[in-house]
Amino acid sequence: MLMRVPYLVSAAALLGGLTSVGGLTSIGGTATEVVVAPAMPSAVTALQRSAAPPAPATQVAPPVEKDSVRFAIIGDTGTGTSSQYEIGAQLTQARQTFPFEFVIMLGDNIYGSERPQDFVNKFEKPYQTLLDAKVPFYAALGNHDDPTQRYYKPFNMNGERYYTFTKGNARFFVLDSNYMDPTQIKWLEEQLSRANDHWKIAYFHHPLYSSGEKHGSEVDLRTQLEPLFMKYGVDVVFAGHEHFYERIKPQNGIYYFIEGGSAKLRKGDIRKGGPLTANGFDTDFTFMLAELGKDAMRFQVLSRNGKPVDAGTLQLAAEPKRAAEDKPASR
Amino acid sequence: MTRMLFVVGVTLMSLAAAPQQQGVNPFAQAMVDFKHRVGEYMKLRDEITRKVPEVKETGNPAKISAREKAVGEAIATARVNAKPGDIFGADMVGYFKQILAEDWKSRSPADRKALFNELPRGVQIRINQAYPSTLPLVSVPPNLLAMLPMLPETLEYRLIDRYMLLRDRDANLVIDVLSNVLPQRDR
Repeated sequence: MLMRVPYLVSAAALLGGLTSVGGLTSIGGTATEVVVAPAMPSAVTALQRSAAPPAPATQVAPPVEKDSVRFAIIGDTGTGTSSQYEIGAQLTQARQTFPFEFVIMLGDNIYGSERPQDFVNKFEKPYQTLLDAKVPFYAALGNHDDPTQRYYKPFNMNGERYYTFTKGNARFFVLDSNYMDPTQIKWLEEQLSRANDHWKIAYFHHPLYSSGEKHGSEVDLRTQLEPLFMKYGVDVVFAGHEHFYERIKPQNGIYYFIEGGSAKLRKGDIRKGGPLTANGFDTDFTFMLAELGKDAMRFQVLSRNGKPVDAGTLQLAAEPKRAAEDKPASR
Repeated sequence: MTRMLFVVGVTLMSLAAAPQQQGVNPFAQAMVDFKHRVGEYMKLRDEITRKVPEVKETGNPAKISAREKAVGEAIATARVNAKPGDIFGADMVGYFKQILAEDWKSRSPADRKALFNELPRGVQIRINQAYPSTLPLVSVPPNLLAMLPMLPETLEYRLIDRYMLLRDRDANLVIDVLSNVLPQRDR
């Protein structure tokens, strides 16, 4: 019996009058559908193609709920290239309309050498405005990250490869998917079993589900993590590694997002017509914004040009809050 | 369950394969010895790190990299004569290779291809070398980690090219190497 089922109820509201842009990928200047199959046919308003002109970042939709948890999501960022700086500028601009409180980083925070100046050029400068505004970043480790990054204060990892933190009614579980040893899995289960938070969000670098041609789904990791996510009611999972944006069709009641295109891009890497994709975008750099409300998560994805790429609302069915131990074993 | 059976199988094979003292399980003995060698390394490491100021969280990455380098160099100096297999151990090499081979066999062609895509190639690795910061730390499959002997938090197994390494995480140092444990790419 599923008690909490997130489902996508609406996209148009978040696009502020634009009917949509989701499901599009540009190939040689033309737009084609990646996948338009609704995420959950009974409850989804599928995003439709639109002939609307590109929307500037100022059309970022504002938050809907008063006391919601608002955050930005970026992945595979640490290149120090112009694309990273452009996304940094977009984040700053978006925050004027959508005042997110913190940023989560999905790994590959610093590519290549990790000299002190690399932390400046590949993190501090691109996000200078946000750092100056005291917006905290919470990093996960990617396969290009030296694990000693966990001692770098601006990443807020408390010296740990994997950790958890709460914001409002949400608990975030930040994992080190490079090295998912039995100790980490045991820790995760202990943390999940104790958590009574309304929202349970997990994020880490390697995606459990992916339509990427180069990497694809991390099946091995999935066999270890997905049963725990299902057992303890994780609602949404974010990952990077793949250098594009993808929203996966719900898997066992859980929503999976890939946002690994915030400074790296693997153009055309999303397998066309793949069974997993609810929406995908692999032709430009992107970032995400999300709002966790009482019973809904609203998300929007924007490109470095401020164009909306995807948006929607994941609605949790009404449920009396119960202790984690009392939750059903499956969802 | 399959993997548990595999470990049991490895144990039984080893019982049949090697001459043994009565009542001594050679696999268990090899494991004890491996853990002892890891423990000896950790003792040495603890002695060294006591002399290098610990870095807690800092906004200055220079402090982090300086400590990493200092610890790495001190360990390398203390283990200047270390040879491949000093920690893995001659008695455990066969088990490690078997575990890796079995894990490889259990993977789908797509899974193998994905792992190959990630593994840096044409790399020469030696003990006491800093793991090159320009190379990715390829994710070690969790199901493989579940079969390998547990390590202290500061140590980790890593796969690169056809090697399996033992790496000191906070010193970024290769402390032991097993060569030719992963298949060649054209297989």
